[in-house]
Amino acid sequence: MELESNYEISRTASFIRSRNFTRVALQFPDELLKDSTRVVSALRDKLCSSEDNASDKDVGLYVMADTTYGSCCVDEVGASHINADCVIHYGHTCLSPTSTLPALFVFGKAPICVSNCSKNLSNYALTSGKPVVVLLGLEYAYAIQDIKEAFTIESSKPHGSTSKLELYCADVIRSVMDPSENVKTSSGHLGLDGSLATDQGSSNTICTLHSIGGLSWSLPEGRRIEDCLLCWVGADNAAFANVVLTFNGCEIVRYDAAENRLVTDVSHQRRILKRRYYLVEKAKDANIIGILVGTLGVAGYLHMINQMKGLITRAGKKVYTLVMGKPNPAKLANFPECDVFVYVSCAQTALLDSKEFLSPVITPFEAMIAFSRGSQWTGAYVMEFQNLMTSFPMELRDQLEEARFSFLQGGYVEDFELEETSEENEDGTLALVKATEKALQVSDKDPKSIIKGTAKSGAEYLASRSYHGLDIQSNSSLPEPFLIGRTGKASGYEDEKSKQQSLS
Amino acid sequence: MCFHLFWEQVSTSFFPHVFGRPYIVYGSGFVLLTVWDKMNCKEPKPFSFASASSTFTRSVSNVVVKFTVDGLRRIMDYKHNIRNMSVIAHVDHGKSTLTDSLVAAAGIIAQEVAGDVRMTDTRADEAERGITIKSTGISLYYEMSDESLKSYKGERQGNEYLINLIDSPGHVDFSSEVTAALRITDGALVVVDCVEGVCVQTETVLRQALGERIRPVLTVNKMDRCFLELQVDGEEAYQTFQRVIENANVIMATYEDPLLGDVQVYPEKGTVAFSAGLHGWAFTLTNFAKMYASKFGVDESKMMERLWGENFFDPATKKWTTKSTGSATCKRGFVQFCYEPIKQIINTCMNDQKDKLWPMLQKLGVTMKAEEKDLMGKALMKRVMQTWLPASSALLEMMIFHLPSPATAQKYRVENLYEGPLDDQYANAIRNCDPEGPLMLYVSKMIPASDKGRFFAFGRVFAGKVQTGLKVRIMGPNYVPGEKKDLYVKSVQRTVIWMGKKQETVEDVPCGNTVAMVGLDQFITKNATLTNEKETDAHPIRAMKFSVSPVVRVAVQCKVASDLPKLVEGLKRLAKSDPMVVCTIEESGEHIIAGAGELHLEICLKDLVDDFMGGAEIIKSDPVVSFRETVLEKSCRIVMSKSPNKHNRLYMEARPMEEGLAEAIDDGRIGPRDDPKVRAKILSEEFGWDKDLAKKIWCFGPETTGPNMVVDMCKGVQYLNEIKDSVVAGFQWASKEGALAEENMRGICFEVCDVVLHADAIHRGGGQVIPTARRVIYASQLTAKPRLLEPVYLVEIQAPEQALGGIYSVLNQKRGHVFEEMQRPGTPLYNIKAYLPVIESFGFSGTLRAATSGQAFPQCVFDHWDMMSSDPLESGSQAANLVTEIRKRKGLKEQMTPLSEFEDKL
Repeated sequence: MELESNYEISRTASFIRSRNFTRVALQFPDELLKDSTRVVSALRDKLCSSEDNASDKDVGLYVMADTTYGSCCVDEVGASHINADCVIHYGHTCLSPTSTLPALFVFGKAPICVSNCSKNLSNYALTSGKPVVVLLGLEYAYAIQDIKEAFTIESSKPHGSTSKLELYCADVIRSVMDPSENVKTSSGHLGLDGSLATDQGSSNTICTLHSIGGLSWSLPEGRRIEDCLLCWVGADNAAFANVVLTFNGCEIVRYDAAENRLVTDVSHQRRILKRRYYLVEKAKDANIIGILVGTLGVAGYLHMINQMKGLITRAGKKVYTLVMGKPNPAKLANFPECDVFVYVSCAQTALLDSKEFLSPVITPFEAMIAFSRGSQWTGAYVMEFQNLMTSFPMELRDQLEEARFSFLQGGYVEDFELEETSEENEDGTLALVKATEKALQVSDKDPKSIIKGTAKSGAEYLASRSYHGLDIQSNSSLPEPFLIGRTGKASGYEDEKSKQQSLS
Repeated sequence: MCFHLFWEQVSTSFFPHVFGRPYIVYGSGFVLLTVWDKMNCKEPKPFSFASASSTFTRSVSNVVVKFTVDGLRRIMDYKHNIRNMSVIAHVDHGKSTLTDSLVAAAGIIAQEVAGDVRMTDTRADEAERGITIKSTGISLYYEMSDESLKSYKGERQGNEYLINLIDSPGHVDFSSEVTAALRITDGALVVVDCVEGVCVQTETVLRQALGERIRPVLTVNKMDRCFLELQVDGEEAYQTFQRVIENANVIMATYEDPLLGDVQVYPEKGTVAFSAGLHGWAFTLTNFAKMYASKFGVDESKMMERLWGENFFDPATKKWTTKSTGSATCKRGFVQFCYEPIKQIINTCMNDQKDKLWPMLQKLGVTMKAEEKDLMGKALMKRVMQTWLPASSALLEMMIFHLPSPATAQKYRVENLYEGPLDDQYANAIRNCDPEGPLMLYVSKMIPASDKGRFFAFGRVFAGKVQTGLKVRIMGPNYVPGEKKDLYVKSVQRTVIWMGKKQETVEDVPCGNTVAMVGLDQFITKNATLTNEKETDAHPIRAMKFSVSPVVRVAVQCKVASDLPKLVEGLKRLAKSDPMVVCTIEESGEHIIAGAGELHLEICLKDLVDDFMGGAEIIKSDPVVSFRETVLEKSCRIVMSKSPNKHNRLYMEARPMEEGLAEAIDDGRIGPRDDPKVRAKILSEEFGWDKDLAKKIWCFGPETTGPNMVVDMCKGVQYLNEIKDSVVAGFQWASKEGALAEENMRGICFEVCDVVLHADAIHRGGGQVIPTARRVIYASQLTAKPRLLEPVYLVEIQAPEQALGGIYSVLNQKRGHVFEEMQRPGTPLYNIKAYLPVIESFGFSGTLRAATSGQAFPQCVFDHWDMMSSDPLESGSQAANLVTEIRKRKGLKEQMTPLSEFEDKL
């Protein structure tokens, strides 16, 4: 009964039952979609078999697939289409708080060899001698206790009791999420109650609580996370990248459960941080910024978008908001005027770095650094924007009067901020004159001189294009002769077959 | 560092060598001296001042009255009496030493040590290495006597002169310092070693000077070598000097310019001096002509002519001839009257034949002080020569007579300087050097100030006046008139000149002078044009053009990650402190410092660590070189890529550009802003293009001006103009990051052969076409035998014959090849020119020095891009290894993306 245990059918059923949900949305990521029908029938069986106590209620189960945004987040908009009461989310998740619907998360259970894992980890930990924090991918959450126990035994084995390793093991915060809970979390992410502290024997000391991506753990007072060795059990995925970036000051090793080996070299993940730094520097030079709405579910997204808009406008730059689901190069290239995109989404889909994108895509945290004067890249990194909203002081702008130094251009570059405001306030007549003047200048310029980062607004960019929509320069006024169009498929029209052969 | 001494009323007893000579009599003058160092305005090293003070306090009793700021300020208004000039030369030809002897004349350094101190090398590393790194300025105040100005024809206001002299580095790596110095000066003293002659750097800086319309005068330096080291006879020496002058004139003759007039130099006109910087003496033919004119009873100018060229004199017959008569006593005028007497004096001194010496000196009208008469040998010789032919008077006189004042120079330099229309009020103000006109000021470099992290903006006022508290418009290098880009309005907090050890604030500085300003450093990186706040229609002064480019790069990072803000601040300061260094950031997030050469980088890194980082430690990578990607042949087939929706197809081909075309684009002869007709003409006449095709160039790239292009070869494609912008955007992107190693492309012409587009506009938008254009460009690059281009230095080495073997073997080992080897006529030295890949040049000078026991010293300057013959697509080849290495460094996948990822099939 693999399906049963993997998809936690009975737990799901009791969840639905206990809360009396009648319309339930089952959200599957693409890779688990193949199991959806079996899950639904198993779940229905389960629900029917326990029907006896609440007889006349029929539970509607709906499968949701191909989510608009990242499949790790709960698709609340999709669920509301069917007026669902709750969402059962399967597979990998970022555990971002939801805003309206309660959700149950089924992480799945990936196979792991506990003994091998703990042996590998403890061997490494003993040589480093640092306190160990074990973090794991949610698909291994079921094995937490086993790993912890095995690890304790393993680490005390060779050395006896002389040097006992400090061990902290992360726990999953919750697998059921209620929107009401989020008010608390978004107001302060450390507001979770201390009972979640999993560290044995330290319940009487004051703890610092850390949480990331649905995992939480606490360290005793005075123990800095930078001094610890972080062990990640799981795949090299977005969740891991999130951990590496957030705790970039720590030594991190990864245990790959699929290949049963310890990966100590995480340099390519570290490189990401430097790359992000570059993107921030690049964003500083941007004039036009597109905000990509990458989630409609994560709590506080609207607030974040508004905050971003305010930030960018204050920096004297132009901002456009775009809603486009999952961004891909072709979609973003439709907005070549944008010099940089800010992707507002959950922590694990936010890192979009592909060379394929014409313009870089950055996270709200990076935008905060790039667009507020006086803030500096210090190495601290925040992925979840709930944390960002609370921890990032909005008025960090000090009044240091210095032009901005651009490392992309290797010199001081202008800063519109100071001048732009005064221009806006000019009286109407003058403004019109200015606008005309500007328009004239634009048309003066060589139409070929479109280069990214010169236009200051979308309109200006479009005006500098060589193609304006209508080809009025047509030199013959005579009607064009009648032509027979092409036939066939776009991948190769019929008249082209022969041409292609002759070309090659 | 800057210290600045101003002496009034220096008694004749203090400067016996200046006054009371029979042939040049200066009035009781006073000499002003300002030394400022462009690099660091720290406390001056005590050396010169302390050692010098003991010398002059002994001899000066009633003088040292401090000249006031007002006094200096007063002379600044005499625009005809100012000379702004730079000293330029090849490395080690004795610029700084010569400058020293000018300074020595002012009494700042004891005459005895002049030539050894190198006053203008104020940095510890400069003194240590014996080379100048930063250009350094000295202001000399000079008062001429009426008599000596008798023959001066130009305009003048009184007899007082202010000479602002800038000593510049000779090493190629620091050429940018020379460029910055040239911009703010009007004349140049070209120093040439009489033995080594005109070298590569002499030529480079001379060309640069002439390009800026800087009038040159020449001094043939290290004369002492002729007398002491080589012991050549008169005729031979004359031939050597003649050759040096001729070589210099060959370069100058190419700059025939009606406004500037003849810029060649002629000894007989007094525009060539002969000097021995080390010993502090120099002369022009004027000196001798004056002496002999009365004796022969001829005109001074006539006498000058006889002292050079084919004029011979036989003392036996007392006759001048234009050919050697063959008689033993018949000698060339120069030899007879200039060379021989000097030789005689020197020999007499060196042999301590004092009984002979004193009568000779008496005859020449040279009086020595009692204590100097006890000197022996070389010291005696030095002293005698300095007294007889002081370098300062000969050279300063030459500058005053033959170099233009700002008022003169700006008349013709305005064309070079001003970007705007040459008839607007700004151009006129510059032209007339009008102190009442609108302010036009060019900031040529930033000088670190004593308080850490701040900089003086140093520049030249070309028109108007700049005063403390003035609100100025700062137009940065990217400013475009009418736009707000790179434009700031800020107040000048202070205008500063240096007096004594401290900076002195002056109320204002009028045009024609140099000035340092406080309070603008947070808006100027390297240079800028300043004008009055209200002058919104002023155009900026043209940016400087550097002869070197930053080709050598090194990545830096901090040892402790949290020091990053310090590094960022440090790099910002470094970028300001040097006109050439470029601080950028790479795609991988690494901070890059780029400089002109290994030495330049070394100095930059040292400054960064010592002065700009606040003590934080850094780690630097090995130097890296940027490459270019190009193609060898035309694409083997027309390649096609489909858009993401499969509805649009682009067909393209790549081909290498014609030889010289990429360079023409680099030089700006061909570019996006050309008149299409002119462009078509150049392309068809020089590069054999079809005239119609030349009109079909869509764009240049990267950055819209780079040496690659897209040409439209399609016929009758519908909606083609609609996707042009998208293709251009894709091309700009792709040409910046080539398919091999994401290096810039160079010299590739992409031909759009055919395009198939979806009938609905929405399906052929930028989103579909931009990524497709990029892919098809990569595909066409990969099918056209892609190659890497590596930067290559032109190396010039001067060495004696026995060192040649070593030079050749080092060059061979470093993949270099010699293309010219020439013996310098009249010397045992060989001149070797070779090409050397930049990547191999790291450690080259060290190896070379070791292999030739220090006899060879190379000068490397970036010359061209050279194609690497090996195929980067063939694994294991040298180019392929390089590509892998670059990709690794950049954090890319080590394997190149295969062609199949870019090319689609129907």
